[in-house]
Amino acid sequence: MPSSDSDDFESADEGHSSPTKRERKKRLSSSNYSDNLESENELKKVQPKVASKLEASKDKEPVVNNEGWDDFDIDEDTIQTSNNETEVKNITSKTETITVSETKDSGWDDFDDWGDDNEVKDQEVKPQTIRDNIAANEQVTQTKSQKDEPKASWGWGWGVDSLLNSATAGISTLTTQVSQGITTVLETGIGAPDPEVLARMSTKNETENITEDRKTENISDTFQLGSLLSGVTKFVETTGTKVISGGLDTLETIGKKTMEVLQDGDPGLAKKKALLGLEEKPVLSQILREAKDRADKEDSVKEAKREAKEVHYETLFDDCEGLVHLEALEMLSKQVSMRIEEKLRNSEPSKRQDIKETLQQVSELCEMPEEDEENDITEGISRPEGLHEKLLKATRDIGIKLQFQPLIKQYTDVLNELSTDANPRGTYKLGVKSLAHSTALSVEIYHKMAEMLLVKNRRSTADEADAVTQMTVVLTKHISDLASHFTEKLSEISTENKEDVNNYITNIFLEAGNSSKYIENAFQLTVPIIQIGAV
Amino acid sequence: MLLFSGVGKSCLLLQFTDKRFQPVHDLTIGVEFGARMITIDGKQIKLQIWDTAGQEAFRSITRSYYRGAAGALLVYDITRRDTFNHLTTWLEDARQHSNSNMVIMLIGNKSDLESRREVKKEEGEAFAREHGLVFMETSAKTAANVEEAFINTAKEIYEKIQEGVFDINNEANGIKIGPQHGGAGSGGGAPGAGGAPPGGCC
Repeated sequence: MPSSDSDDFESADEGHSSPTKRERKKRLSSSNYSDNLESENELKKVQPKVASKLEASKDKEPVVNNEGWDDFDIDEDTIQTSNNETEVKNITSKTETITVSETKDSGWDDFDDWGDDNEVKDQEVKPQTIRDNIAANEQVTQTKSQKDEPKASWGWGWGVDSLLNSATAGISTLTTQVSQGITTVLETGIGAPDPEVLARMSTKNETENITEDRKTENISDTFQLGSLLSGVTKFVETTGTKVISGGLDTLETIGKKTMEVLQDGDPGLAKKKALLGLEEKPVLSQILREAKDRADKEDSVKEAKREAKEVHYETLFDDCEGLVHLEALEMLSKQVSMRIEEKLRNSEPSKRQDIKETLQQVSELCEMPEEDEENDITEGISRPEGLHEKLLKATRDIGIKLQFQPLIKQYTDVLNELSTDANPRGTYKLGVKSLAHSTALSVEIYHKMAEMLLVKNRRSTADEADAVTQMTVVLTKHISDLASHFTEKLSEISTENKEDVNNYITNIFLEAGNSSKYIENAFQLTVPIIQIGAV
Repeated sequence: MLLFSGVGKSCLLLQFTDKRFQPVHDLTIGVEFGARMITIDGKQIKLQIWDTAGQEAFRSITRSYYRGAAGALLVYDITRRDTFNHLTTWLEDARQHSNSNMVIMLIGNKSDLESRREVKKEEGEAFAREHGLVFMETSAKTAANVEEAFINTAKEIYEKIQEGVFDINNEANGIKIGPQHGGAGSGGGAPGAGGAPPGGCC
């Protein structure tokens, strides 16, 4: 009896977290305490739904048991939902030490009253789910009580004791807290149960408890607590309304009576403790194992997310500043287009036609060349040196100094990395990353080119158009070369998982297409910038 | 960031994003970028900073970028009075071409060079007061106040977003919602305010 001398409600509460926990466990088990014996058939009658679940649970008792346990500490599924009184206690720690039967029963009475409450009724309720929930709960509880019964009896004393000590404080807050609790439960929406249904269930259940408890009473020492429970339960049932209306005396009586019964019925405590110790071991390991499984699962989800991000093209492209360069280029392009429009609007009609023609001519100059011409422009660019050479050649007449070194360096690095041994996944990741990086660097070149062209003193439209077009051909071809390096490498790697590799190859080609689109986009955004130099 | 050649914008940015100082810096062409994730109010925000060229030649270009900024750092060099004298022009330019709600912070950079100081701290404060700016002296070299300058600007933008001053659904103000993309606006708006904090620069 850890806190038998304690007068302080709160300290008793805080100071004995484990008894509280135990008590909570017990609360569950005791609520259906006497189902133990005739459980199955009885339950079937009460809730036909339970039957199948119940049987399943019987086969895997420890597991079910465990679920029940988990529910106390980790707020999960059904138990908290259906056992509203448990929830109430969890929510307000102050009430936690009030004993099982007291809180439970008065809680249920409250439910009955609140069944008429509009707020409660307004909640969306799915009776089917509730019944399932209750069923699941019951079944868990039941298996629990079979196993944990000894625990129930020895934990009881503390609870009763604190009831006695805290009755005064507890009763005043009980009603409000229960109501708060229910609201919270409903709000959190864990399949909010209809209080009426719950109340009906519980009443039925409890009636059974009582009858069974009576039978149980004399069977063995171990079951002494049953009589205590039924005594209390009955008592509370008959005086339920009084309790709600603030019957302090009633509660005190309950407490005293409980103490009496308990003191009488506790000689087997040591034995029960021993039993408990034995019982708890496998349960604990089970809990730990499940917790570990859960953690592993979460980790793998996280890992998968991280992995997905690692090969997410847009993310990589953004990380390499590709998006922001494209955005800036877009801004320039838009502004220049606006200036061209303005120029058109403000010029005389005769001149307007000239301007339009000039614009059209520039657009034509910026059309992509035929394929055979392309070959000439891109010959030998599969090596970094060749690429650099062709880029310089393409832009030699543009009249500004463009920086290609970052792109060439990146290409060199990628080829070096690619020549080392790698697994398919790693090669694939490198492929997507390289494509995004190359594209970002290419977009940057267009952006810088646009900026420099706009501040250039003497524009030479034809040369500029030609240079940009050729450069686009080279860069686009470079992207496809890059993709080929990776797909070839992927095909070379011998692996058992051919399907994965094929997916990787497909994705590389898809991202290469994506890259080409970005480059094409940047190229189109540059066109107005060349146009404005001509008008 | 907007402003003059040589007042240390790019250095400030480098100090903020990479925590390093590089005394010799290429001239900024048009605009360059820096980005850093920061946490405001428990939220991860990507600050996308647009470091605009201070050179007069690029002025017409950098202007096109103001529009996209949620915030700006207007930077002058405390050792060069001329950069301080030009502030009004830059400020007018920035206000004219940007979102009227853009948060602007005035930065007096190179505070480590006390012996060569030409602009008193009080002058900077007065200018800021007069134009409704927040003021701070920084040193890109010693990193003094650099973090604060950027993060305070970001916080102010964040507050404006909370107040509903910025329409976060309109990308034109440099704020983008999303896991990745920063918007424009130095200062930083929600995920990513890229920005052109006007400032003078290296």
